[in-house]
Amino acid sequence: MTHLLDVRNASRRFGGVQAVNDVTAHVDEGELVGLIGPNGAGKTTLFNLMSGFTPLSSGTVAFAGRTINGMKPNQVARLGVGRTFQNLRVFPNMSVFDNVSVGAVGTLPQGPAGALFGGFTKAGTERADAISRRTWEALEAVGLTHLAGELAANLPYGQRKYLEIARALAMRPRFLILDEPAAGLNDTETRALAAFIKRLHGQGLTIMLVEHDMGLVMGICQRILVLASGRKIADGPPDLIRRDPAVLEAYLGVES
Amino acid sequence: MIDPYYLQQLAIGLSLGMTYALMAIGFTLIFGVLNVVNFAHGEIYTLGAFAGLVLISAVAPPIVAVIFGALAVGALAGFSLERLAFKPFRRFTDEASLKSRAMRESTLLSSLAVSIVVREALEILFGSEMRSLPFDYLINTPVRIGPVILVTGDFIIFGVAAAMLIGLQYLLTRTRIGLAIRAVSNNPLGAKYVGIDTDRTIITTFVVGSMMGAAAGILMGLYYGAIFPAMGFVPGIKAFVAMVMGGLSSIPGAVVCALILGVAESMATTFVSSGWSDMVAYAFLILTLIFFPNGLFGARRERV
Repeated sequence: MTHLLDVRNASRRFGGVQAVNDVTAHVDEGELVGLIGPNGAGKTTLFNLMSGFTPLSSGTVAFAGRTINGMKPNQVARLGVGRTFQNLRVFPNMSVFDNVSVGAVGTLPQGPAGALFGGFTKAGTERADAISRRTWEALEAVGLTHLAGELAANLPYGQRKYLEIARALAMRPRFLILDEPAAGLNDTETRALAAFIKRLHGQGLTIMLVEHDMGLVMGICQRILVLASGRKIADGPPDLIRRDPAVLEAYLGVES
Repeated sequence: MIDPYYLQQLAIGLSLGMTYALMAIGFTLIFGVLNVVNFAHGEIYTLGAFAGLVLISAVAPPIVAVIFGALAVGALAGFSLERLAFKPFRRFTDEASLKSRAMRESTLLSSLAVSIVVREALEILFGSEMRSLPFDYLINTPVRIGPVILVTGDFIIFGVAAAMLIGLQYLLTRTRIGLAIRAVSNNPLGAKYVGIDTDRTIITTFVVGSMMGAAAGILMGLYYGAIFPAMGFVPGIKAFVAMVMGGLSSIPGAVVCALILGVAESMATTFVSSGWSDMVAYAFLILTLIFFPNGLFGARRERV
């Protein structure tokens, strides 16, 4: 069986720094996988390799059987990889609704003529309906429908996170990568986020969670990948990871 | 009762302001999306005017066809300009490069370089003197309204500027292209990751903005009756001033400021010789930068 995401011997070097070193990993359809590692372990780089942002120095990354190295981020997005950002990248001067509909528009491509005059043709109207339907669905999923007309810049930090997730959901992704979604949230908010992620996963979405917050990852992920110094040092269910000597060493320093 | 003289000056000023506005709209659109100043916008304007001249002297088509010809040349020029002067500096897409001043300012110079090359090329091809456009095409038949005398061109320019502004507002807020343009202007990386082709969006912006610049050029040529290779320089500066006064990325703001600028210049000729009227724009620019660094309308506004 082919994996939904298949990373083989991926390496990425920045000048003299080997940020990701010969990592082989996969994610299967329907999984909720965590990616953890100490600071500087290469999580973000691996993440960027998977979403087409950073080209690989060597190795391959395949999504749904198609090699995605060399593709642009927008092409990878159209294949069905959605992502959020550690430091949010919402569109501050656009309404919440418009923010989310960009996700729907970006992944329902059409020619320039259709985009300009689409409102006057049948196909165009149907497409516009599809966009607005997707947008409302995504807003509903994150509970932001009542704020649809608000400027994104006016939302508090926590809601902007959900806005970004909604924008990714409007793409109807097959695979959603969340980059440190709990960063900057308090315990209550983190618990709510955990419940939300589990709900998304329960609806059949394949999710990868890149996180610092061990509690969140251990609590909801079925499988955890651990990176340290650019290498994969462990890969398994939370119980095993918790007891893995290599992981303990990476996080806590050498133990006797 | 207001002295009819001032009414006349006001009318002239508004009409002058509209011509700056025509130019400022495209200028501001491109700035709003890329956050860079496109110094070649003035030459796009000149190219539009010369495209009109070539068309008129070659086939003498109806005026509407002349304008469409200028629009086509503007679109092509905008496309090539983006490829030549802007795209090469977008090669580096990492965070650091996107935020780097050097990356942004390099396009300031590359667009300036394109503008110089285009201007010189036009001088070689057409000579640097004024070239007059055939009389039949000019849009300066006088029209009398009460005590004020305008010419047909004033109305045409007003109509075209209004249509552009409304059309652009429609494009930006009602179409998917506009949604993509606004998204890219807000956060290019974020847009990319939700499937927006940022490259294509940027080209679209350049094409649209440059079509407006070229239309302004041919209209002004027909309005004044004469064109020359360096004609884009002064309107380019005025559009730049209007954009800065309007708050850099607000199109309606730039239009309002272009009108203020036009009226101020025409009123100023009452008190100083017309040779000095260009000083008004520079004075406005300096005063704005000192007292209203966020533009006259300040505060938060929707970009683009």
